[in-house]
Amino acid sequence: MSLLLQSIVLGVLLGGLYALLAAGLTLYFGVMRVVMIAHSAFLILAAYLAWYFTTSTGLDPLLSLVVTVPLFFGIGVLMQRLLLSRLRPATLTMMSVLLTFSIALVIEGMLGFVFTGTQRRIRLDYGAASFEVFGANVAVVKLIAFALAAVSLLGLYVLLKKTQFGQALRATIQHPEAARLVGINTDRVAGYGFGLGLATAAIGGTALALDSTIYPSLHWHWIGPLMAIIVVGGLGSIPGAAIAALVLGLGQSLLQIPLGTTWAQTFFYAALFLTLMVRPQGFFGGRLAQRF
Amino acid sequence: MRSASDTAPTTGRGLLLARLAGLVVLAALVLSFPSLAPDPFILSVGVVIMSYAVLATSWNFVGGFTGYISLGHASYSGLGGYATGLLVIHTGVNPWLAMLAGGLVVAALAVPIGIASLRVRGASFVIVSIALVLILLLVFQSWGSFTGGSNGLRIPRPFDPSVLRPEQHERFFYLHAALLAVALLTWWAIDRSRFGMGLKAIREDEDKAQSLGVPTFRYKLVAFVVSAFFTALGGGLYALWFGFLDPIFQFSILVGSYMVLMSLLGGIRSLFGPLLGAVIVGYAVEYFKNQYGDTQFHLVAMGLLLAVVVLFMPDGIIPAISQLVARFRPQAASIREMTQADLAQQRRGAAEETDDTTDGASPSRENEGAHR
Repeated sequence: MSLLLQSIVLGVLLGGLYALLAAGLTLYFGVMRVVMIAHSAFLILAAYLAWYFTTSTGLDPLLSLVVTVPLFFGIGVLMQRLLLSRLRPATLTMMSVLLTFSIALVIEGMLGFVFTGTQRRIRLDYGAASFEVFGANVAVVKLIAFALAAVSLLGLYVLLKKTQFGQALRATIQHPEAARLVGINTDRVAGYGFGLGLATAAIGGTALALDSTIYPSLHWHWIGPLMAIIVVGGLGSIPGAAIAALVLGLGQSLLQIPLGTTWAQTFFYAALFLTLMVRPQGFFGGRLAQRF
Repeated sequence: MRSASDTAPTTGRGLLLARLAGLVVLAALVLSFPSLAPDPFILSVGVVIMSYAVLATSWNFVGGFTGYISLGHASYSGLGGYATGLLVIHTGVNPWLAMLAGGLVVAALAVPIGIASLRVRGASFVIVSIALVLILLLVFQSWGSFTGGSNGLRIPRPFDPSVLRPEQHERFFYLHAALLAVALLTWWAIDRSRFGMGLKAIREDEDKAQSLGVPTFRYKLVAFVVSAFFTALGGGLYALWFGFLDPIFQFSILVGSYMVLMSLLGGIRSLFGPLLGAVIVGYAVEYFKNQYGDTQFHLVAMGLLLAVVVLFMPDGIIPAISQLVARFRPQAASIREMTQADLAQQRRGAAEETDDTTDGASPSRENEGAHR
């Protein structure tokens, strides 16, 4: 019983982090129709920056967010304006996959080149701390990661729903042409939307660095589950991605008891293929998702 | 831009002869390579490049004809390699028969995979292809008792021990060349057929192709299975040559992306495009691995190369170069032959120029983006 409860708690915490990361992917897809393979590479980059920050200054890795979030936002805007907007509209979706894939390769290669392939881990005072809730052990670092995810998702929600920029971004996602007709500069909004997505990678990567060992090729390990989440949730739907992230994270965590860690990972792919057989457009995607 | 079949009706006798001569020169170059190679290492690089050429040409059955970009074709080459190796080890069957059987097994597996993944287009298709490689990597690493797991799988040599290493390289070079020739011939035959026409219609506009009565799903599936079959044969031949399989290297997205890079660089619409790309990229891969193998720097080099190809020459190196040459030539006064894509590009360019001055809407560009 307590093992089950433990898995559920871990699954929810993990699902929250997945939801934050998938939200970034959904934003890119919404504003640019771009499938950003490099998202998880940026995640690892942020994790490395957090690690480097902590080992060289001795400060808490969370403080590195002050630097990485604006930095990643800027990189995202530049990436959209300088690279992705150059692709031909007719083949944008396919070619963007290849272009972002090449960016992922460059990031992985540079990480290996600069930090070597050695596995790294942040040493924290509270790294091993945990407390008990109804017999389930909750590691403090996992809770911090979840809290970061929850706060950023809430911030993202408020930004999208309550601000004028959010309104413009949502309009651009729903109907770019109409958005332009009412005077929205969709190019600029798309750039900011892309930057926003990459900023979530900075937060997610730092959260990830708190309690996992990192190495340059780790992003391959993340890309599959994240892609599965956005396909199951329906490409372009933020609530869909969040729900799929929680469900799949929970499912993976529960399956670890009978199957073990490695086989439990196949759950994401099983869900992906099952979704395609039953509902190719994903469970929350609308008419839009079907075409991609 | 144009494939062999488009120009066929206007081909004169001279052009036909020139093409035949080119083909003979190409064949002579390939056949004489083993005797020209200065040492066994260069010869083995030649085998690797040939292997890449087989894989890229096999990839191009899907990528070139239907426009569906698969980043996960390493799943089929890896499966083909493992099927061949496991058959040889467990049943002791003749290695060449094992290779063929492995190809057929993978083709049979590709049917359900194709049915699942060809239901979605574009981005989702790419995601599924990536997911497939990652699943297979997990399975082949975890299922150690059957596949050898992370320790790898050692495959017995198909030739008896009296055949020395360099001779072995030479034989495998010719075997790869023969397989490449069969794959190229099949591609050429499909390119000229009604089936190929249907596939190319899917590439240009799948919805229109469907409304014109092309059985799009069946056509895509057949092309997909043919592609998986040849990719698996390529993987099997490589396994017999290399003699050792490791899941990390067999089921790697990197290998799949090399196939895409080679085909795109050489040109996915032409018969010999993937071969040309394989020679360039294969040489570059071996060079960078040789020079920067210890660091991860070769990844940076390959990533930058892929980005350059995607951004500046998505149609391949030959159209890119001929466009560059055309830019410095005086413009012809006569009516120029232009494809639909060129016209759309031109219109878009004009629309964007006016857009810059007025800062208004440019519907044409967004239209295309939204309707894809």
